Amino acid sequence: MARLLEKKVSRRHFMGLSSCALATIAIGSQVKVLKALAKDGRIDAPTGLGSKDVYSSCGMCVNKCGFIARVKDGVIQKLDPNPEFFIRSRAMLCARGNAGVKVVYDPDRLKYPLVRVEGSKRGEGKFRRATWEEALDLVAKNMNEIKDKYSRASVMFASTEGTFSEHFFTQLAECYGSPNTLRHPTLCLSSNIQGFGATFGTNPTPDVLNADFIIMSGANRSEALMTPDSIDLLRGDGGKRKLIYLDPRFTKTSAKADEWYPIKPGTDMAFILAMIHVIVTENLQDQAFIDEFTVGFEQLVPHVAPYTPEWAATECEIPAADIRRIAKEFAAAAPRAVYYQGRRSSFMANDTQMRRAMAILNAIVGNWDTKGGLIPNANIELTKHDYLAPWYDEDIPGRLDEGSVTYLSEKDGAWPAFRDRALAADPYPIKGMMVYKQNPLASVPNRAKTLKLMEQMDFICTIDITMSDTAWYSDVVLPEATYLERQDPLEALGGIVPVVAFRQPCIPPMFESKESLWIIQEIAKRLSEEIAAEFDFTMEEHLHHQVKHNPQILEDLRTKGIYYESTEPNYGRTRGTALKTKSGKIEIFSQKYADNGLDPLPVYTRPTAVPSNRYRLLVGRHAYFTHGTTANNPYLHDIMPENTLWLNPVEAQKLGLKNGQMVKVRSAVGEEKLKLEVTQKIRPDSVYMAHGFGVLSKAQTNIYGKGGSDAALIEEKYCPISGNVAMHETFVEILPA
Amino acid sequence: MSNKRYAMVLDTRKCIDCKACTVACKAENHVPLGRENYRNWVMEEALRGRYPNLGQEFTPGQCMHCANTPCKRVCPTKATGVNADGIVTVENKKCIGCKYCMTACPYNARYYNEEIGAVDKCTFCEHRILTGREPACVETCPTRVRVFGDLNDPNSEVSLLLAKHPHRVMKPEMGTKPYLFYLI
Repeated sequence: MARLLEKKVSRRHFMGLSSCALATIAIGSQVKVLKALAKDGRIDAPTGLGSKDVYSSCGMCVNKCGFIARVKDGVIQKLDPNPEFFIRSRAMLCARGNAGVKVVYDPDRLKYPLVRVEGSKRGEGKFRRATWEEALDLVAKNMNEIKDKYSRASVMFASTEGTFSEHFFTQLAECYGSPNTLRHPTLCLSSNIQGFGATFGTNPTPDVLNADFIIMSGANRSEALMTPDSIDLLRGDGGKRKLIYLDPRFTKTSAKADEWYPIKPGTDMAFILAMIHVIVTENLQDQAFIDEFTVGFEQLVPHVAPYTPEWAATECEIPAADIRRIAKEFAAAAPRAVYYQGRRSSFMANDTQMRRAMAILNAIVGNWDTKGGLIPNANIELTKHDYLAPWYDEDIPGRLDEGSVTYLSEKDGAWPAFRDRALAADPYPIKGMMVYKQNPLASVPNRAKTLKLMEQMDFICTIDITMSDTAWYSDVVLPEATYLERQDPLEALGGIVPVVAFRQPCIPPMFESKESLWIIQEIAKRLSEEIAAEFDFTMEEHLHHQVKHNPQILEDLRTKGIYYESTEPNYGRTRGTALKTKSGKIEIFSQKYADNGLDPLPVYTRPTAVPSNRYRLLVGRHAYFTHGTTANNPYLHDIMPENTLWLNPVEAQKLGLKNGQMVKVRSAVGEEKLKLEVTQKIRPDSVYMAHGFGVLSKAQTNIYGKGGSDAALIEEKYCPISGNVAMHETFVEILPA
Repeated sequence: MSNKRYAMVLDTRKCIDCKACTVACKAENHVPLGRENYRNWVMEEALRGRYPNLGQEFTPGQCMHCANTPCKRVCPTKATGVNADGIVTVENKKCIGCKYCMTACPYNARYYNEEIGAVDKCTFCEHRILTGREPACVETCPTRVRVFGDLNDPNSEVSLLLAKHPHRVMKPEMGTKPYLFYLI
């Protein structure tokens, strides 16, 4: 009997195998043919059996990588990287990109319009399902009431990048008549844009692929993924380029770097100035380049005279000999060498000047607009979307944060400065808050203050795909269709090799979620005929308008998910042409800054010393979450279910604290509880916690009650030049919980 | 019969522990949610040295599709089998969930899948290979740590890589003859 069974089994096994082998031959050969044809461009790439493939762009972070959605029976089965997107995202998808499927099929997603239950308090989370009609009427009614009672400027509009549709929202603000749009740059890279812009007239892209020598300070590219930089950094056999990495933490980038220096936080500028000092005193600069393309080198030389490597060594705790050697190696590798500027939130209040120092260092070795250096972004033109904001006879004041920082972006605003003035109603009150996909409660430092700001609002409306903390504290919550369910406009992604991306729906919007354009149009209709008239177009018309000059762009996007005109960089485009600076040249010495009472050359300021029994709180990224938006995603939650507070073992011993125990972290503005992680991976004078936890929204069921919020602890100091928040100027004490 | 011998070559120097492979695998193969359920992984190796002289490696792994299979040997129902192309398989219907194979596997590459009621593990995404595509973890990897292919083809990328670079396998002392090769 046993033998019989065995026989039967082995027979079935054999049958299974042979049919399998047959399938390999049959399908395998077909695929080979299809693939060969696809290479010639004669037919589309082979697709999965019986499934529909949709080409679109990822919406999990800012990179907009290309993917192919494998859709079967109306269900998105899988998101695969789009090989056509190679020139931008190197044909890959990260953990977040792969987790995108769960954004659509997440029980926690927003499904219906919600209205806060009458009589309940904000933050209690008592919402009732409403019809779109009722919710939209309520939004328009409140917006109209606020303008009648105060002014059109009393409604603020907060929105975020990456949606491809943000411009519709800022258009609504402008048509409504409010100057107060609050975009993300002052929580991100505005100091960077300012510092590089003042020097080069633009914020260039480092040619990581072709650089032989890269210095990164604070740009944690193996965790804070940017395409294609994060990928290009690891290309080749790993030995072709040298990576010098400065970070108070041992990150995954440290693990990949040739040299890692745990720099004292806030002293990066000392390191850079000392490098410049070495280069100019040893005459290693590219003098021909400097003479032809820059202004102000002669002022730079005496300026950096006191900034010796020996001086810098005491500031940043990196040996002088190393600084000297690195400076020489950098100059020798130039122009295929970059001091990589990164893009993150600023560290300190002097961040713009630190970025200026980076830009100047790059300029004096001539690594500008040449292979392996800093490349000014190229762009593909799309036809501009024009509209005419209605004219209102009433007096509308200017931006609330006008004059709060030297260079205020009219559209972006300066978050912390704006919030302070709004809290003081100085010079006028802000009473309405329209939010599109921004989450100020998690992203603006000093959460208690943001809560206060929200308390004083007559009305708050949030449009999002998930119940963020900000949505949780809103009066009306409107569900947007996710990036996998909606048509988004085209967006030109500038870079060394520019491309155009867009999004098309993989499946129709689920539940009652709607495309943002529809939501905004419906609000516009209810506000006034004049405003509605500026939104009188369909998405399809908008897409065709964008490619009016070249319909091929839309053709390519629909069939390949990407449009590009060349796969190769075009180096040297700006050489011999005037840059967008006052002098038309690279401004080592900034007359513009001097005229504005700012240091025309970067002057080092020592960071505030860490008080005794306190630690400097550091922020930083990892590859699993995008800011505060994806921690609740079930796949990503599996990878990282909570955040911890990193503390060096020497300090843990001093405090008598053990790995894994709960601790209280207290700053001047807040207190949070989370688990302690005792690790060698951090300087003894600093602590670190990941962003995205300690949420207020109970509707984020996976992460509510887990970890701590950095936004609750960080003080809102900011750069007076760009308005960018300074994330590393907060000291905390640590107590057993 | 197949004349292929599938294998994977991994260049861990490029691995940044971004977990793209893990999520891609979960989505592709409907691996149930939960940290204990996985077909592949990236191991954060122990930190070397003391602050500030530190080093760390990240090692991705999955079923090693061994030539000498302890998992198959201990399976009382012959649910675990080996295809001619070297892919180690589990036949769900035959699996009685005794988990002997999970204990026997020196690489901890198997987990019990409650949803299908059977032990589950990496199949090199056989269903994708059949349609001419790479395993999901290989295709999605941002830094191209993993390379997949046929060792019987001397011109395949895996063969060329192994011919060119010194390499090792995990736990060679176990005598399992694994087919995941790690470049040194």
